[in-house]
Amino acid sequence: MTPVMVVFGLLGVVVILTALGMLLSRNAIYSALFLVLNFATVAVLYIILGAPFISLVQITVYAGSIMVMFLFVIMLLGAERLPGSDRLRRQRWIAAILGLVFVAQVILFIFFRGQLTAPVGTPPATLGSPQAVGTTLFTTYALPFEVTGAILVVATVGAILLTRGAALPYSPIRKEEK
Amino acid sequence: MEVSLWIEWVIKSLFIILLLTGGFAYTTLYERRVLARMQVRIGPNRAGPFGLLQPVADGIKLIFKEELIPEKADKLIFILAPVITVIPALIITAVVPWGESVWVFGREIKLYLADLDVGVLYLMAVTSISVYGITLAGWSSNNKYATLGGLRATAQMISYELAMGFAMLGPVLMAGSMRMIDIVNAQRSMWFILPQAIAFLIYLATSLAEINRAPFDMPEAEQELTAGYHTEYSGMKFALFFMAEYIKMIAISMIGSSLFLGGYHWPLPAHWLGGFAGPINLFGKTVIWMFFIIWVRATLPRIRYDKLMQLGWKVLFPLALLNVAVTAAVIVLVGG
Amino acid sequence: MTTSWIETQLTEYLLERFGEAVQPDSRPGYLGFLVARNKLLEVCRSLRDEFGFDYLSSVTGVDYHPEPFMEVVYHFYKSTGGSALVMKTQAPRDNPTVPSLCSLYPGADFQEREAWDLLGIRFEGHPDLRRILMWEGFAGHPLRKDWREPFFEEDAKPFKSRWPEGHFIRVEDNNPYKNNVSYPPDFDPGKWVPDKDELLYGGLQSFEEDSEIKTERIVVNLGPQHPSTHGVFRMVVLLEGERVVDLKPVMGYLHRNHEKIGERNTYLQNMPFTDRLDYICSMSNNFGYALAVEKLMGIQPPERAEYIRVMMAELTRFLNHMFSIGFLLNDLGAFFTPSLYAIEERELILDIFEEVAGSRMMCNYFRFGGVARDVPEQVLDKIKTLVHDRLPRKLDEFERYLTHNEILRSRCEGVGVLTPEQAIALSVAGPVLRASGVPYDVRRADPYSIYERLEFDVAYGIHGDIYDRYLVRIEEMRQSLRILRQVLKDIPNGPVMAGKPQFQVRVPPGEAYGRVEGPKGELGFYVVSNGKPNPWRYHVRAPSFINLTSLKTMAHGAKVADLVAILGSIDIVLGEVDR
Repeated sequence: MTPVMVVFGLLGVVVILTALGMLLSRNAIYSALFLVLNFATVAVLYIILGAPFISLVQITVYAGSIMVMFLFVIMLLGAERLPGSDRLRRQRWIAAILGLVFVAQVILFIFFRGQLTAPVGTPPATLGSPQAVGTTLFTTYALPFEVTGAILVVATVGAILLTRGAALPYSPIRKEEK
Repeated sequence: MEVSLWIEWVIKSLFIILLLTGGFAYTTLYERRVLARMQVRIGPNRAGPFGLLQPVADGIKLIFKEELIPEKADKLIFILAPVITVIPALIITAVVPWGESVWVFGREIKLYLADLDVGVLYLMAVTSISVYGITLAGWSSNNKYATLGGLRATAQMISYELAMGFAMLGPVLMAGSMRMIDIVNAQRSMWFILPQAIAFLIYLATSLAEINRAPFDMPEAEQELTAGYHTEYSGMKFALFFMAEYIKMIAISMIGSSLFLGGYHWPLPAHWLGGFAGPINLFGKTVIWMFFIIWVRATLPRIRYDKLMQLGWKVLFPLALLNVAVTAAVIVLVGG
Repeated sequence: MTTSWIETQLTEYLLERFGEAVQPDSRPGYLGFLVARNKLLEVCRSLRDEFGFDYLSSVTGVDYHPEPFMEVVYHFYKSTGGSALVMKTQAPRDNPTVPSLCSLYPGADFQEREAWDLLGIRFEGHPDLRRILMWEGFAGHPLRKDWREPFFEEDAKPFKSRWPEGHFIRVEDNNPYKNNVSYPPDFDPGKWVPDKDELLYGGLQSFEEDSEIKTERIVVNLGPQHPSTHGVFRMVVLLEGERVVDLKPVMGYLHRNHEKIGERNTYLQNMPFTDRLDYICSMSNNFGYALAVEKLMGIQPPERAEYIRVMMAELTRFLNHMFSIGFLLNDLGAFFTPSLYAIEERELILDIFEEVAGSRMMCNYFRFGGVARDVPEQVLDKIKTLVHDRLPRKLDEFERYLTHNEILRSRCEGVGVLTPEQAIALSVAGPVLRASGVPYDVRRADPYSIYERLEFDVAYGIHGDIYDRYLVRIEEMRQSLRILRQVLKDIPNGPVMAGKPQFQVRVPPGEAYGRVEGPKGELGFYVVSNGKPNPWRYHVRAPSFINLTSLKTMAHGAKVADLVAILGSIDIVLGEVDR
């Protein structure tokens, strides 16, 4: 067992624990923080896999921006305390069955379709480099990339329009400024 | 070799952390003296010669202060928040090169801690993380001023992060690399402040907003929110916030100097003094940059919060975007 | 007192139209009219709408104790200038109820609350008649003549126990520590739940429910411990996001019942006591009080004293405006640099006060019929260098740094707007009123002392926002310098005191209202004398206090950050607000 594998294992445990913490925490803020920790740990996993670019993008985008927005919204709405009773109680047994099915699937995959888990060959060092990612994005995946961008812009504009209702109460001072 | 490399890293890391914490202490003195001079005052001059022991006295005072935790605060996060705030401040300078290399005890030591090929991205990642401490401090205090301060900080830092990232892209495009050393070396003949003047100005403004310094010190806006997110903090926990603010100030100055002011090159050739001229250059530029930050604080009133957001989204962000596009176009056309 | 043609007309008209309900006040030394309670609103409406008395300067009450009535005294002005119209209305002492003038003059709001708080006069129809300076639950109304404080000694100073030998009893010895607390029999302090200020919070209105997105409204207490409320002042603010929806000022944390103490003091003892009102401009406070008592006594100070008074008052104005602009900038978030620059100039003026009066802040310089000491020649020279050289230079410097500053303008322009109509209705005074486009300055509108002879312009603004208030203050400083230059040129030689200085002055019975244009606005002193060595009633029309009435109007819809700047632009001093 190499040191890298030990670190990998430890990080894996942390990833699972934080994911569980996120699910089980009764406080939305704690849930969000567990998720942040989860993202950060996954980012470290990427570094171990030799992809610092992906890792740092993961931190910047997921941990640094998206989760901050989550926290922001939770705090702004004062929604940190979840209601005591679970409103989805009737769905619990469905969830349990589906979970069991999923675990069974995973076990089947690992043990009976062994060829799928064969170790992937070491990727070339440049695979995750900024140049490589950039080139791929703007050549092979140019269309999906642009479409995604367009969708995001539309979503943003839509969100802004939704929040700016027609009856936005302007203060008298603002009126004078116009 | 492997082990000695590890030892070298540890020593360098410790050195940077000590330098930053010590630098923090003396930055407070520096700021207080400069502010005082600008305000027809003298400033702290009693503790030690020229007040040089003032930071020590402050530190001792803060250690012995009572640590208050509000009864209805979220205790765990309340205690963690200052720590979370300080860590990004301490690690962000890891990718900033200090110089080329020096020979110590017959051993060549590279004057940088980490040579990431995505150095600029690392800066962005750490900046984006650093908002957590402030947000959580504001929320966990269970105080209206603190919560408002925390929310303001979050919104402000997220908004300005984007423009700052695009401002950093200017030098990246010019150097054709995200590695900090490449960027610094690309400025050997000409500082990027000249071709990237717009990016420089945007960086200047957004970096002040990122570290919550005047005139963008909304999150702690004393006049409105008493002390913003750290209203409820006292003693060493408060000192940690203070420390984070000043270390960030140092870090921002160092990064800015490296991206736009030629880093460790010039005025002294970097290889002089056995290679120590590089760090001296960088130090000088950092001190001047910090002087500018303090000067701004002594001079300008605070921008109002909504105007700040407008400035960020409607002026700085499009401008930065445009700058990147124009730079890229010019580089492609001219063959930069 | 001579009455002008229009006032004669007015008297005739009022007597004719309202008949029995309006009577000229015929008591010796008294002015104005007595109005029947039930006709008060009608008379006031006619005054406001038909005669242009649109500015209600002062509302206060007088308790004529052994006699069975209380009197409410109103001072009206025209916002175009002229002297006062005094209206009084009387109410039985056991149940004093008077109609509220809030519907006609919103500026009566705080003043009526004060009269209710301190005198127990109930104003019917007042929208929010709560105590204002004392706390809810305070027993009694302290300005009533039969209300006595704990350890009451005598009704008037000097107390016999301390005079003439100077013996005194420490009240603490009468009632040693730990024995001085007693609870009512059914009260258990351990189980007591503090008052939740339901009256206060319940009064906060919510409005404009048409917004599509329901955001949470939070109540934030700015103060009483807050770095930018200029003292222990509290604003209860209802916020929607960062927008102010409603606001209620809460004051009285520094209340010491200045007026009650003033009624115990002899006339001259009050002179140093006025210093403590607006402790930044003690000279102006002295001026107002001296004018009121001189009116009662019917004396005139000699020429040189008048010049010295004006000189001191204008220096005070300069100092105060310097200070207030410095701290306005502080409120805008400039880190102390402007205020320290301003304080540097202020210190120079305080040096002069020290040389003239012996004290830097608590000057106690004016006397009835003059000033305490003459101004020596070398001090005059010092003032000359200041006025001709240093102050104009520094003022230019100040303006160069601030007036066109981008951030300052973007923070101040269009913020905290008060229209001229609102400003007059809310009884706002001083630079705040003038910035709203009402060029009303007591020095011009109802000249006192030698202001009639002096050349100066009344600075006024157009937009009524914070920036105009700032500009008005700057311009007023320039005008003050202009006045000072004339005064320094023309100051005659001669005595500075009419008659012999006296410790005890004889004041004939009567009433008088002396008002000056203080740096913060119209500062009025209403003094009623019954011929004894102590004033029977001593009321201060505090401009800071009354200007706060407009805070809510100005803050409506503003951001939290603006709120602080708006408060700074009103320029309050808590010593005067709380009295």
